[in-house]
Amino acid sequence: MRAYVEFAKKAFQINIAYRADYIAGVINAVVMIFVNISIWKAIYEDEQAVDGVQFKMLITYIVLSFLMQCIYGMDEYFIEYKVRSGSIGLDLLKPISFSGYVFSYNVGILVFRVVMQLIPAMIVSIFLFKMYPPFSWSMAAFFLLSAILGYFVLYNLNFLVWVSSFWFYWTFSLVTIKDAAVMILSGALLPLWFMPQALVDFINLTPFASIYYVPISIYLGQVPMEEIALTLAKQLIWAVGLFVAGRLLWRSAIKKLVVQGG
Amino acid sequence: MRKKALHSAFELFTILLIYIKLNLKAILEYKFDRTFITIAIFCREMISVVVMFLILVRFVHIKDWGYNELFFLYSFLFLSYSAFVLLFSGMRDFPGVIYAGEFDRYLTRPLGLLYQIIASRLDLSAALGHGIVGIILFVNTAFSVGIIWNARNIAYYIITILSGAVIQASIFMFANCFSFWTVKTENLRNMIFFSARRFSGYPISFYPGIIQKLLIFVIPFSFVNYFPAQYFLNKSDMNLFWDGFLYLPPLIAVIMFALVYAFWKCGVRHYSSTGTSM
Repeated sequence: MRAYVEFAKKAFQINIAYRADYIAGVINAVVMIFVNISIWKAIYEDEQAVDGVQFKMLITYIVLSFLMQCIYGMDEYFIEYKVRSGSIGLDLLKPISFSGYVFSYNVGILVFRVVMQLIPAMIVSIFLFKMYPPFSWSMAAFFLLSAILGYFVLYNLNFLVWVSSFWFYWTFSLVTIKDAAVMILSGALLPLWFMPQALVDFINLTPFASIYYVPISIYLGQVPMEEIALTLAKQLIWAVGLFVAGRLLWRSAIKKLVVQGG
Repeated sequence: MRKKALHSAFELFTILLIYIKLNLKAILEYKFDRTFITIAIFCREMISVVVMFLILVRFVHIKDWGYNELFFLYSFLFLSYSAFVLLFSGMRDFPGVIYAGEFDRYLTRPLGLLYQIIASRLDLSAALGHGIVGIILFVNTAFSVGIIWNARNIAYYIITILSGAVIQASIFMFANCFSFWTVKTENLRNMIFFSARRFSGYPISFYPGIIQKLLIFVIPFSFVNYFPAQYFLNKSDMNLFWDGFLYLPPLIAVIMFALVYAFWKCGVRHYSSTGTSM
């Protein structure tokens, strides 16, 4: 266990070295929130409802989504780099679980992002954008739980793409296409309640909504108390399902691995 | 020190063709990968288009901008970016050339430095990825927003797309020139460029005045798509701005390029190698 904590610490330290990067990350998040709010303001000006409840909920939705995007970022090319450089050969010899190593590395990044990006961006957002507080204390707690489950769903989905580098070596394209799917289908940029019903029905068959839409809906109090347990269970099932798929893919990847030099 | 032109325009053109041929050979070596990268860039750029589409399915119009008009406005961004990476990707990527020490080799060749920088790179995947999005948007909107495509309008259109490419190249180039002093500005550059680009996806009249002024006078992205689109669409929010802006894109492009060129000259004079060339 100690080894994994050290991996996480190392990831934290590596990230903190690039100061310009994380300041750019914070500013980027604030700019994106600002652009989106301006557009929604323009839309709602027509409907004469800029001060309405629905508009304020939308603002809260947008702010939360971009704050979550801040911390959901992972190192997409960690495994790919190890496969291509061959250093994965050495990693596999070490008496640690490789997927545990990858996970703890990403947890380090997560902690870094929470401390250095989420907190500054959150403070700026609260002052600048007048978002709603959580619907209630219990919903705040469920939101936190749901956001963590959302992180696991995204992580396990990403893991499938990362492991595919055992076959493809270069995964830029696959990662980019996966990101595009996540951004649109998870409701990160547009709440599901504005989407056509047919698309929503499709999204409900996929794990994507669990990543952004479900946690934010809980925060806004749109999920009734009696449905919370079911909603969280659904997220958990997706997280576990994708985790199992990742394990299976990993097992066949290891059999397939060829290290040239390294 | 003034140098005589070493090559005629014809010779330069022939050399450019050789460069293009070499680049294409390098690209086509990995046909499958490159195709896949093009598809990926296409998908990435489609994110914002799909989101705009879904918003418009629900709300039909934003202020008095309709569906076709907004996408017509957006198409300028993609087409001019595509022209930019097709023509000037060398200007986008030259910090890499300096850090790798490759710039020393350019210095020893009997050809203009800027010419070599521009001719030596070709990013076909990005040009196609952005270009296809742009063409899809253009074809779907250009004939339904009431534009008469006569010779004058076509000429204006082509000139503003090229001006947009030069404006964007100049923004990149300006930030990149700092690498002559070994200052890394890539993060700052990307942040400024892509933030401005995100703002420009929608009409600048949607934003507070300060942002409008920034996009006109500081990072002149409004001349890449807003004013060119307004020339054709003539929406009512144009009366927020001076009419002359409609005709300024080429002038802005020339001025920016001249300023950046002077800065580049200054940078080249200060250049001292990283000593990592092979």
